[in-house]
Amino acid sequence: MEVTHKRYKRTDVLSVSGRLDAASAPQFKQTIDALFDEGRYRLVFDLADLEYVSSPGLRVLIEARKRARNWKVTDLEGGDVRIANLPPRIKEVFDLTGFTSLFEIYDDLTEAVGSF
Amino acid sequence: METLKVAATLDALTPIRDFIESATEQAGLDEHAAWQVQLAVDEAATNVIQHGYNDSEPGIVEVSCQIANDELMIVLRDWGRQFNPDDIPTPDIESPLEERQAGGLGLYLMQQLMDDVRFEFDAYHGNLLTMTKRLQRAKPTIAAFQLDGRLDAVSTEHGLSGVREAIAEGTKYVLLDMIKVTFLNSSGLRALLLLRKELLAQGGELRLCGLQSRVYEVFNLTGFTQVFTIHPTCEDAIAAFEQGAL
Repeated sequence: MEVTHKRYKRTDVLSVSGRLDAASAPQFKQTIDALFDEGRYRLVFDLADLEYVSSPGLRVLIEARKRARNWKVTDLEGGDVRIANLPPRIKEVFDLTGFTSLFEIYDDLTEAVGSF
Repeated sequence: METLKVAATLDALTPIRDFIESATEQAGLDEHAAWQVQLAVDEAATNVIQHGYNDSEPGIVEVSCQIANDELMIVLRDWGRQFNPDDIPTPDIESPLEERQAGGLGLYLMQQLMDDVRFEFDAYHGNLLTMTKRLQRAKPTIAAFQLDGRLDAVSTEHGLSGVREAIAEGTKYVLLDMIKVTFLNSSGLRALLLLRKELLAQGGELRLCGLQSRVYEVFNLTGFTQVFTIHPTCEDAIAAFEQGAL
C-alpha cells in the first residue's frame, strides 16, 4: 500500500493505492491520525488505485469518519471523511458490508474536494 | 491435499495469498470467484494472526486446500485460543455511522463470500475452519425441442429428426418439451431410450419436461421414470442442466 497526501486549503486528500489489509492498515491509520493531530478534519480518500481492501482497512475507514465528524466548527460545519473513486472490487466490498450508505462517495476527486 | 504451514504473523498473509492463488487457478475459478476466496481466506487468517495467539508467543497457522466433488475446500487450522463464531455478533450492516460497530466484518465477509463456513474446535486438534466454494461449471449449451401429437414408431423418428441433426452438429444437452405430446407407445419410448443412450455416451444429457399425465403414466408403468430425468417445467429442466443436477 502507498498513501500520497495532497493538501488543499480546506481539505486534505489521501490517495491510497495497492492493498489495504491487516498488514498495511496500521500505516494508513497513522497517516490519518497525524492529520487529525494537526487539526485537519476534512479529508478525502481517493481510492481510484486501491486494488484490495479487507476488514482491517474497513475498520480504519469507519473509525476515521467517526472521529472526523466529531469535530465541529459550528452545528452545521465540521469535519468529515468523504470518498472519491470506488473501483468495482472495492465497491463490491462496500456493498457487502453496507459501507456504501455509510459514506458520501463521489465519482470524481474534484467533486469530492469541492463538496467541503 | 496441499498444505502450507506458516508462523501466525502478518508476514504470513503474502505466502497464504500465493498458496490460495495457485489453488484457485487449479480449481479453474474465474477471476471474481478467485478474489472472493482470497478475501475470505485473508479475513480468516487475519483473525487467527490478530486474535488467535498471544502476541508474545505467536504460533502456527496451517492452510490446506483440496479440490473434490466440484468444490474447492480450504481448511485453516491453528492451535491458539478457541474461536467460537457465536461470540461474534453479526454486524448490523444497515445501522447508521454513529451506531456502526467496526468489528465482526471479517467473519461476516467470509460467510458472504464462501458457500459454506464451518468452525470446529477440540483441545487436541485446535481450531479447524473449513470453507468451501462451489466450482461453477461452464454453462452448457442446451438444445430444446418441442414434440407434439402422437409418439409412435413412425412419428417419433420423424419428430426426433431435428434432434439428430443437432447431435450430429455437436449438441450434447438436449431438452425435450413434451407438453403437446398426447400419446406415447413402446416404440416411442424405445426411440427416446436410444436417444438418451446416445447422448450419455457423448458425455451429454437428455431431460424431459412438461409431460401430460397420460404420457407420464406410461413412463411410470414401465418404470422409466427411474431412467429418464423428468422435470415438471422447461424452466426447471434448464436450471437443472446448468447446475448439473441429477
